[in-house]
Amino acid sequence: MARVRGLWDRYRSASPVTIALLALVLGLVVGAVIIIATTPEILNAWRGAFHSWGAPGHALKVTFDNVGAAYRSIVTGSIVDPPQFWHSVTTGRGWTASLTPLSETLTYAIPLVIASIAVGITFQTGLFNIGANGQAILGGVAGVAVATLVHLPMVLHLPLTLLAGIAGGVVGGAIPGLLKAYTGAHEVIVTLMFNYVASYFMLFCLLSTPLQLPNQTNAISRTMPGGTQLAPLFGTASGLRVNYGIVVALAVTVFAIWLLDRSSIGFEFRVTGANPHAARASGINARRTLVTSFLISGGLAGLAGVTWVAGTTHYIDQNFLQGSAGIGFTAITVSLLGRNRPIGIVWGSLLFAALEVGGSNMQANTGIPYDLATVIQSAIVIFVATPVLVKEIFRLRTLRAESIKVATAGWGS
Amino acid sequence: MTTVAADVTVRPPLGRTQAIGWFVVVVGLFTVFGMGVGTGSAPHSTLTFTPIDVSHGAPWHLGNLTLPTEWTLVLLGALIVALGAEVLVRRLVKGAMVRVGLMAIVFLVAVLVWASRQPGPSQVPFINVTAILVGSAAITMILIYGSLSGILCERAGVVNIAIEGQFLGGYLVGEMIDSATNNWLLATVGGLVIGALMGWLLAFLAIRYLSDQIIVGVVIVTMFTGLSSYFNSWVLTPYPNLNNGNIASNLAIPGLMKIPIIGPTFFDETGFFYLMMILVGLVSFALFKTRWGLRVRAVGEHPQAAASVGISVERTRYVNVILGGAVAGVGGVAFAAIQGQFTPSITSGFGYIALAAMIFGRWRPSGAVAACTLFGVSAYLAYNLQSYQVPISTEILLMFPYLITIAVSAGLVGRVRPPAADGIPYSRE
Repeated sequence: MARVRGLWDRYRSASPVTIALLALVLGLVVGAVIIIATTPEILNAWRGAFHSWGAPGHALKVTFDNVGAAYRSIVTGSIVDPPQFWHSVTTGRGWTASLTPLSETLTYAIPLVIASIAVGITFQTGLFNIGANGQAILGGVAGVAVATLVHLPMVLHLPLTLLAGIAGGVVGGAIPGLLKAYTGAHEVIVTLMFNYVASYFMLFCLLSTPLQLPNQTNAISRTMPGGTQLAPLFGTASGLRVNYGIVVALAVTVFAIWLLDRSSIGFEFRVTGANPHAARASGINARRTLVTSFLISGGLAGLAGVTWVAGTTHYIDQNFLQGSAGIGFTAITVSLLGRNRPIGIVWGSLLFAALEVGGSNMQANTGIPYDLATVIQSAIVIFVATPVLVKEIFRLRTLRAESIKVATAGWGS
Repeated sequence: MTTVAADVTVRPPLGRTQAIGWFVVVVGLFTVFGMGVGTGSAPHSTLTFTPIDVSHGAPWHLGNLTLPTEWTLVLLGALIVALGAEVLVRRLVKGAMVRVGLMAIVFLVAVLVWASRQPGPSQVPFINVTAILVGSAAITMILIYGSLSGILCERAGVVNIAIEGQFLGGYLVGEMIDSATNNWLLATVGGLVIGALMGWLLAFLAIRYLSDQIIVGVVIVTMFTGLSSYFNSWVLTPYPNLNNGNIASNLAIPGLMKIPIIGPTFFDETGFFYLMMILVGLVSFALFKTRWGLRVRAVGEHPQAAASVGISVERTRYVNVILGGAVAGVGGVAFAAIQGQFTPSITSGFGYIALAAMIFGRWRPSGAVAACTLFGVSAYLAYNLQSYQVPISTEILLMFPYLITIAVSAGLVGRVRPPAADGIPYSRE
């Protein structure tokens, strides 16, 4: 009993983790409301609900069936499908089908971790890099260019491909960083605009002879040779797409922890982010900090782009990171969800990757478009960014989580 | 110490002004020697003035104007050189970016003249000046709606970066209502309501819960991008008759519309264009000539002082952000009215460009109109170049509006002063 009391008290004094979990609940509620409001079957059931006895019960059942089916397919499509799994355990067969959901979630989480850490580093410096998507696109293009145009043994070629991805992203990060440092251009506007520039630049590259798949009129690149691909962890024969990119993602996480918590430059980032005036007063070179933060962030975003290509599709076409697939935008929400800390970001990436992958499964099973996942993710982040709201909804007593702030409030700085 | 520091931030180092000046001069020289002198004396470029849409009767007729390509380009190039020289000689600090904007427009005109030369590679043997102005006016109109929305919000101290999302919301709702009822008035009301609701959401989170406005704004845009894609495939695909609205027809003003060039551009437009012109006047007047406007600006500059004389900061901000959302929502409907069918992400960053235009226009409606015109004309010219077989690929041309936005925002340092409390949450403690 005392233990239950203890848990209850811990719940009521909301920690950031509690807030995140409650935000997830609220996000799912928002998603359910949207499904109910837009699904003809449910609306029709409710339209007839007040004509006869028992009809409201029927309408409720239809509602629960539809929403339940949607959310069930999110879970079975992203984590595990229990009947299928039980079938594998008892018969020893069908392991590929049983493990595919988890494998897909991990596959999608790999670039998301990297891109979100990229965004998180700028947030920690008090900057807002909304351009991670454009930087990831440049990384992907540069990676594919090196992979398909240069011929080298694999030992050199794969690292060089990844480095090219980083370099592409660095270029993308240097533009807003240098412009802000030397001309004062606001990074929010520059990075937002740069996303569009990067998209068109990618189209331009994909339609030009060196990169374009021969005999094609569409914007599609050649396929990366085997030596530049990040191979599937369990071999191509396993049918599971989770790949050695996971090593890259882990390395980036460790790097980020070291950078932010152990290195002096990371310390400067955090001081600048917490209080730019104090940073300047204590002799931190604001301009250098700003540019470095953007270069590292851009480089990591580029790495995220190339990791995605090298690990999954092995080519890019005009849909690469466009629309809902733009991991750079999801990365912003993940970073906020993980409170810009590497470990938090890893958990956040797993959750949001599961939502994305599960969303696709939901679309396949129930027809409800996977874009709902984006809406749920955004709702979650709105709640996380507004912890006081969550506290009021759930009547929590104290609040240990703080609101998230960027130092770049106005446009003048 | 403080005065020195302020002086340094307000006045950027002269080196960059010179760099801008030299850049403009180089572009001018390129126009003269790269495009002008090279074409030789034979080719001519023809300007025509008859609008494409003559459904309301052709205006007073203007004959074609045929110009020798070479000399026109030399002249335009010289004009650009003069702009650059002015920046260099007068050491213009404040006006440098305006000159760069003018340079962009003159340069694009020069490229058009060059591309349409006959005999030459172009399939389109003329430049329709009126059509270009009409097309530019349409883009400019959209941007002005967005900028006005930004001004309303930021003058009260709230950054509305969600304009892009409000555009999308207004576009989607407007298109659906117009498809269902064939009535743009109802569509406008629908867009207004959805925009106001989105404004309220931003206001609610930013004012009541003191959230970071830029973060919440960006997330709201992400949310509505997802929501509108969801709607597109879940509702509009099965019910295609909810997404087949007409393009709004023009309401020509009798008499005025007959004026050559100006008539078709300003007086043969959709109702949204006239509404935009009225709104510009209304917002300027309300913000700078009324008590209400004074209060709004006080809240945006110094909320504590405003509160101390009895103005409710929260209420003022709520009202303005909701109003701003409504204006952007109507802008979304206007977008639908000139563009037609909804597709995901169709607003393609125009909400953000409008925001940049607002900053460039120094948070004033008149300035925003000028900035939006600059962006609108250059965007349209860049798009228009595609039909002239210029040796620049389409993708590069499509980058142009975004590149010019980046370039312009890079030239703004120390020269813009946002409302002092812009983006800073206000709490009474």
